[in-house]
Amino acid sequence: MKALIYFGVIVGLVPVQSVLLPHISVWGVKPDLGLVAVCLIGLIAGELDGLLVGLTLGWAMSLFSAQDLISGAVLKGTVGFVAGLVGRQVVYLSPIVLALGLLVVSCLAGLATPFAIKLSVQQDWWWAVWIVVLPQACLDAMIGGAIYWLMWTRLNIEQLMSESRM
Amino acid sequence: MRMVNLRASYSARRVALVLAVILVLGFLLLPGQLQSVFQQVGSPFGWIISWPLQAVAGIHGRIADIWGRYVALQGVEEENQQLKRELDLLKEQNGQLREASVATERLSALLEFKKQVLPTSVAAQVIGRDTGNWYKTIILNKGTSDGLQSDQGVITPAGVVGRVVKTTASTAVVLLVTDPNNAIAGLIQRTRDEGIVEGTTQGQARLKYIPLLSNARPGDHVVTSGLVGGFPRGIPIGTITRIDKEEEALFQSAELSPEVDPNRVEEVLVIRSSSFPTEGERLVVPKPKP
Repeated sequence: MKALIYFGVIVGLVPVQSVLLPHISVWGVKPDLGLVAVCLIGLIAGELDGLLVGLTLGWAMSLFSAQDLISGAVLKGTVGFVAGLVGRQVVYLSPIVLALGLLVVSCLAGLATPFAIKLSVQQDWWWAVWIVVLPQACLDAMIGGAIYWLMWTRLNIEQLMSESRM
Repeated sequence: MRMVNLRASYSARRVALVLAVILVLGFLLLPGQLQSVFQQVGSPFGWIISWPLQAVAGIHGRIADIWGRYVALQGVEEENQQLKRELDLLKEQNGQLREASVATERLSALLEFKKQVLPTSVAAQVIGRDTGNWYKTIILNKGTSDGLQSDQGVITPAGVVGRVVKTTASTAVVLLVTDPNNAIAGLIQRTRDEGIVEGTTQGQARLKYIPLLSNARPGDHVVTSGLVGGFPRGIPIGTITRIDKEEEALFQSAELSPEVDPNRVEEVLVIRSSSFPTEGERLVVPKPKP
């Protein structure tokens, strides 16, 4: 069942990210729903699930981008793994704290990306921070926080986390 | 008694007759003065009369309004709804027809262009954009099963769109000409100076390595040079909007406005052929007779 849900998430997110999100991008920047999903999966289901889903989702999303396959997979896999480790240490997580955490994680992943991929001379570090990393991190935090808030109000997150990690 | 009554009546008649004659004569002899006298006398009278007149007129108006709006229009509500439904239907049909007309026009131009210029090209539809924010790419609905592979040029009848950088069996990722990581060999059509076209972070393009002695100027058209990359010679890339000359620099560069707006591209042609016809072959130069 779990594998089926993960498969659905991976297969569903790629078209949403490449077909629908460009129409609702803010100043040409769209949120990385893959990163948000991997974070939430890692947090709720543990580091192994986060790592595997992150690797697969990163790879699948890189297939439809000019980004090389390995960097995308490794970055998302790492994010999923770290989210799983953090989830193990946390007892209670409010949506605001999760949004702030997502902001930090998205910023770190965004800052690591220019080192992992070969960008042109025009795309320097400041360009990356102001044009891509910070706006994307804000969008990721807002969307991730909203999704977690919905889950938080409708589901028993602690129970879900303990059941998923078993 | 009877005589007295007759006399009184007779005198009254005479007085009335005299007054009438005076009035008629007055009307005939002094029309202007009498008019103004009557006007002045009539003003307050008319003001008094105007109150009930307005009241009656108001009531009449209200009644006519009520009649016109509610009583006489009992069937109009239904008719209005029917007309609204018809209007919606016609609007929808009009939109569909307009879209079909535009699509037909676009596809006809693409087909004609394909027949004339590049018989080995493959037509593809744009189905998506880059999944990330770092590159400007489009996703096509054709892949390796249709003969697409990396480094093939992608164009529309208007000009260069980009080049294929990644393929799957059924899709291909095209790095757009406006991406800073793209580089296409370009040629200024008027001066024949060559350079490299690359994208900018502002979504435009730039022609680099133009010789210092070149007299290129804004308005000049830049086309593909056909030397390297997946493009034949002469496909439009953009128009020069500004020349940048830096002191002590070995080359000058130019800002380009791309011919194709990559954000609005819907159908493209992918150039499959690796060897392109030369200018002479394209113009079908007659072979010398033995």
